[in-house]
Amino acid sequence: MKKINKILLSSALCASFAYGDVATLLPAEKRTFDQSQYVPDISAILDFSFVNNSVKNDEIGHLELPGIAHGLLGEHTDGDTTHATYNAKQGFNLNYVEMILSSNVDPFLSMDAVFHFSQHGVEIEEAYFTSTALGNGLRARGGKILSNFGYLNAQHHHYWDFGDMPLVYEAFLGTHGINELGAQLQWTAPTPFYLMAGFEVLQGENEMMFGNATIGDVEDPIVKGVDAPSLMVGYVKTSFDIGDTTIFGGVSYAQGSSMVDHSTDEEGPHVFSGDSKLYGADLVVLHSFNSYSSIKWQSEWLSREMDGTQYNLDVNATVPVLALNKKQSGLYSQLIYTHNQNWKMGLRYDTIYQNDIEKSAGDDSFAPTDLNKYSGMVEYHTSEFARFRLQYNHNDAMYGEEDDNGVQHKQSVDTIMLQANIAIGAHSAHSF
Amino acid sequence: MNKYLLLLTLLPLSLLANLNIAVSYPYIGAITKSIGGKNVNPVVLAKGNWDPHFIIPRPSLIAKVRNADGLIINGGQLEIGWLPPLIRRAGNPKTNVNTKTFLNLSRYIELINKPSSVDRANGDVHPDGNPHFHLDPNNILILANVIKLYLSSINPDDTNIYEKNYIEFSQMWKKKISIWNEKMLTKRGLKVIQFHDNLAFFNKAYGLTSIATIEPLPGIPPSSRYIISLIKLIKKENPAYILHDVYHSTKSAKYISSKTGIPIILMPHDIGALDNIEDLISLFDYLTGAIK
Repeated sequence: MKKINKILLSSALCASFAYGDVATLLPAEKRTFDQSQYVPDISAILDFSFVNNSVKNDEIGHLELPGIAHGLLGEHTDGDTTHATYNAKQGFNLNYVEMILSSNVDPFLSMDAVFHFSQHGVEIEEAYFTSTALGNGLRARGGKILSNFGYLNAQHHHYWDFGDMPLVYEAFLGTHGINELGAQLQWTAPTPFYLMAGFEVLQGENEMMFGNATIGDVEDPIVKGVDAPSLMVGYVKTSFDIGDTTIFGGVSYAQGSSMVDHSTDEEGPHVFSGDSKLYGADLVVLHSFNSYSSIKWQSEWLSREMDGTQYNLDVNATVPVLALNKKQSGLYSQLIYTHNQNWKMGLRYDTIYQNDIEKSAGDDSFAPTDLNKYSGMVEYHTSEFARFRLQYNHNDAMYGEEDDNGVQHKQSVDTIMLQANIAIGAHSAHSF
Repeated sequence: MNKYLLLLTLLPLSLLANLNIAVSYPYIGAITKSIGGKNVNPVVLAKGNWDPHFIIPRPSLIAKVRNADGLIINGGQLEIGWLPPLIRRAGNPKTNVNTKTFLNLSRYIELINKPSSVDRANGDVHPDGNPHFHLDPNNILILANVIKLYLSSINPDDTNIYEKNYIEFSQMWKKKISIWNEKMLTKRGLKVIQFHDNLAFFNKAYGLTSIATIEPLPGIPPSSRYIISLIKLIKKENPAYILHDVYHSTKSAKYISSKTGIPIILMPHDIGALDNIEDLISLFDYLTGAIK
């Protein structure tokens, strides 16, 4: 009896829900195998900039953060491939055309693919499937992903409040951050406030800090690689509201093997092999005045320890093999004021304040800690889909190459950037 | 033995006793509460005094969606800018689109002003038509019926309660509708200006004619040149009022008002939009009483 009731109810429900669904024959021209209804959501985002640096194109690529990273700025050609950070060149830069495809696959999965088209080719920025039906707050994802480490890492470039990456992120991980092949499992706790824990197993190919591939000739390698996947990431994030203020914080940890290949460097070619740990803590406070106006304070702290062996490949190297331990930390803190739907402005401070390098043979490495960068920006939005940003950077963190006396001098870089970010297609909604 | 059986049958009932239904906007929460009664607990995601198109996707809302037994949305792409990432983050199959526990109210109302062509050169238009349909009080009855059927389908044991509540609600609401109709009878044909066309359904229900909006196109803030052309139009057409939403700045409206002398009336769009709008009745009491 109960079953019959249920059937009656559900059929009544269907009948009343499907309003306007009267049985009529479709006109002949509409009786097709038309699949256009299944076209995934498509959007394209153009990022185009005009850049003026106080340092010339040829020189900017030789600037470095001593003991931390080199070749951060400018464009580098390595064989057939060209590597460039965003806004790398003087003058005009087509940073990318980002194409996003996304759709549900079936009742259990969705799929997203994000391509970056540039003048140097196409890169798969992200391509992954996501579970939609696991329940209990669980979500699994597999493919090429932006790790959810920290706050900024999982966000695409066009969602950042500045046109360049925070110094500490770019120095430790490179412009793409932790962007790896792998699997991710996240769990949102059944708590009245937001609490999420996640774990990722990643291939570990980040060339700035991680890596697992054999370096050198396979027959006679400089260092033998390790088995992949070789990078593990874990994090816990929480958030709660106090009135119109949202507080969001998280702690993250990444651990993996490191194979950093500088064997083809012109000066002091070397290779590093070892294990690395990366710690992160982030805090975002957003206060909304109304639907369109808000103030947002966003800060992240990153700290890493790289422990292993450095192989100096220069034929004149006095110590060819030495034990190396690096402890480096930095942070950025930015304040963004959104005035209304048209205007937005912000300030950012970047620093790397810890740069401890221990070597087994003679501690002669130059490891300065006065690495700071200051940025300011103003944005004008013609609508939700188009943004023009004027940004000024005073980068007081870069050092030039050694002079004749073997001394490195600081060379500050001032940059003015005018950046256009234009979106068409499906309405992209962003998470917090 | 019988005792244990009884306990066993009671257990799932007690778990079901409180249905947590996440709803996007306060007005949906109010209808859901009226129909669901004390065992249904609507969890409202958006605040009523903010622009329903632009809700900040606070992570606390993910927690609310994650813990819900169902989700009711307005639809018509009103939530497109903020709700999809929350649903994706929550990891709750009960709130997924196209499931039995997900309800899109816009499917049951014939939307008006559906654009014949969709092009963002015309602003951020709603491709399915105007989604602010709850501001026609006649539609509230349709929505109440849909929510009754929805609640009955996910919790058939309480069908009788929902049916009873629906009958009570609709009788009360019909009486209110006739009062509001009477209040608005003399306002038929009145010309008005709005900021955004969010009163389209209200205007249609009461025969008001909206001759222009202060934003030149949906989602595009007005330029000074556009404001000047609007002032010219107002002087020619003589509209009675500027009906203004509570979330946009009234700066442009005040300027227009000072130049043309037509008064501005703040029109709440949802419960909580103004301090004294505490429920659906006070919302429509206010709206129908605001135009003198």
